[in-house]
Amino acid sequence: MQLANEFRHAYSIASGPDLAAVLTPIATSNNPDRLRSFYQYTNIQYLTQDLHSNLFHGKNLKVPKNEQAAWVDIFAAYWEAVGEVLRCEGRHPGASATAIFTAWKKVSNALIKGYAGSNGLPAWTLPCLYTVGKFLRTFAIKADLEVASQGSSDFGFQDDLAVDVEKNANLEEAARIINRMFTLCLSDRAPIEESRKWGIYETTNLLFKTYFKINSVGLTKNLLRAINAQSHELPPLSAFPKSHIVTFEYYLGVIHFLDEQYTQAEEHLTTAWRMCHRGAYKNRELILTYLIPCHLVTTHTLPSKQLLAPFPRLEQLFRPLSNCIRKGDLVGFDQAMSAGEAEFVKRRIYLPLERGRDIALRNLFRKVFIAGGFEEPKDGQPPIRRTRVPVAEFAAALRIGTHATGRTRVDIDEVECLLANLIYKGLMKGYIARERGMIVLSKNNTAFPGTGV
Amino acid sequence: MSNSTQTQTKADASEQPQQQQKPQVLEEDDEFEDFPVEDWPQEEAEQNGSAANGGNEHLWEESWDDDDAAEDFSKQLREELKKVEASH
Repeated sequence: MQLANEFRHAYSIASGPDLAAVLTPIATSNNPDRLRSFYQYTNIQYLTQDLHSNLFHGKNLKVPKNEQAAWVDIFAAYWEAVGEVLRCEGRHPGASATAIFTAWKKVSNALIKGYAGSNGLPAWTLPCLYTVGKFLRTFAIKADLEVASQGSSDFGFQDDLAVDVEKNANLEEAARIINRMFTLCLSDRAPIEESRKWGIYETTNLLFKTYFKINSVGLTKNLLRAINAQSHELPPLSAFPKSHIVTFEYYLGVIHFLDEQYTQAEEHLTTAWRMCHRGAYKNRELILTYLIPCHLVTTHTLPSKQLLAPFPRLEQLFRPLSNCIRKGDLVGFDQAMSAGEAEFVKRRIYLPLERGRDIALRNLFRKVFIAGGFEEPKDGQPPIRRTRVPVAEFAAALRIGTHATGRTRVDIDEVECLLANLIYKGLMKGYIARERGMIVLSKNNTAFPGTGV
Repeated sequence: MSNSTQTQTKADASEQPQQQQKPQVLEEDDEFEDFPVEDWPQEEAEQNGSAANGGNEHLWEESWDDDDAAEDFSKQLREELKKVEASH
């Protein structure tokens, strides 16, 4: 039994990733028959017996009795799940994604049970938990799709709400099981070197992905609270593998982002960006999708050509908007927002991007200030910009920025309102002298804070 | 037992969609992907160790620019002001 050989090898060198590979329910390219040959090696009658004699034979491998029993249970469940996978691949009647999910739940439960108790499976085997959890989620999604496709043909006029509640039933069940994996890691009291606490972020990541998929982002807060309550007993983030941390920081960033807490979101996303593997194209693209709107809101900066060059999709998503912001082109900005609306909404970045309009307006008004030139220099003092600017000039700029035609009127009250708004938001510094129809701007290069004038 | 006749005769709603879904199941379109390795040295990360602070600066640009078109704008602004004044 080749699978048993692989198991014994992984166990003898105590390699978690190798052991997890044994529990993977898919064939590999260099061994396309691995599932079938394992399944056909035995049958339901001799399953336990065969597993026992194959997994642990050999003198060099010493596996404690309780661990042996746990692995036999796990691989017996795995054998049955593999059977369902093969039946599906062979299009056998009665085979279904739901049957695979049901069988894989048993694998998950057997594994969780294996860790329970004071002398459960050792912590180095944790990658098995990640792999089993990951496929539990995958199989649940497939099962939900299958149910949905049957539902739509059987009950074409089902109540929309009922469908909505039902459509993730399997994935929700998977979430509850993965949550037990999370607790299994968080609550381990063993000394840290051999603790399952090392699995805390990876199981959290799996739950984050699951909660995002079932549209229950709110549930992530419970996990974060539970982790925070234990934080004094957890090793520092930097001690964990980068894959765990980058994924964790990414989701943490997106969670804050959706709460409109852009400063915190930016912090987490920046950490994820810096640590992310350079070869992980898709993940880098996803991080930037949220990091760019964060930067726009928090520091009013735009992505450079260099940053976007490797990502044509992001270039397309953000470049037109960025150009309009920089030029103070309000019409162009509105057009770019409506052209990208569907995509922005889908990615949930519409709201922060919309705030870019204030920056565009600031840039337009800043041009008025620059165009105003300098006061007459006094006694050899350095030249000072003209800081009293008629409201009418801003009104004229607004006509340019909105491509107003000859007949369109720009209401002075409206201009004052826009100016007051920018002053309130700290994008301009000064006050409106209404009786004189003037804006009195701050001197000493602070009229438009942070922009050098 | 012939597989092909079996699927053709007994194929029902539960089997067909599932077959179509098969190739694309493992990773979803817009989901953060699993990394092929668990850990990597900082040199292989987006920002390598030496540039830990400030190395990001060239990636972000100011949202305003003092471009050479400032003259044009000033001219445009004067023309627009004339129009506004004329209309009052």
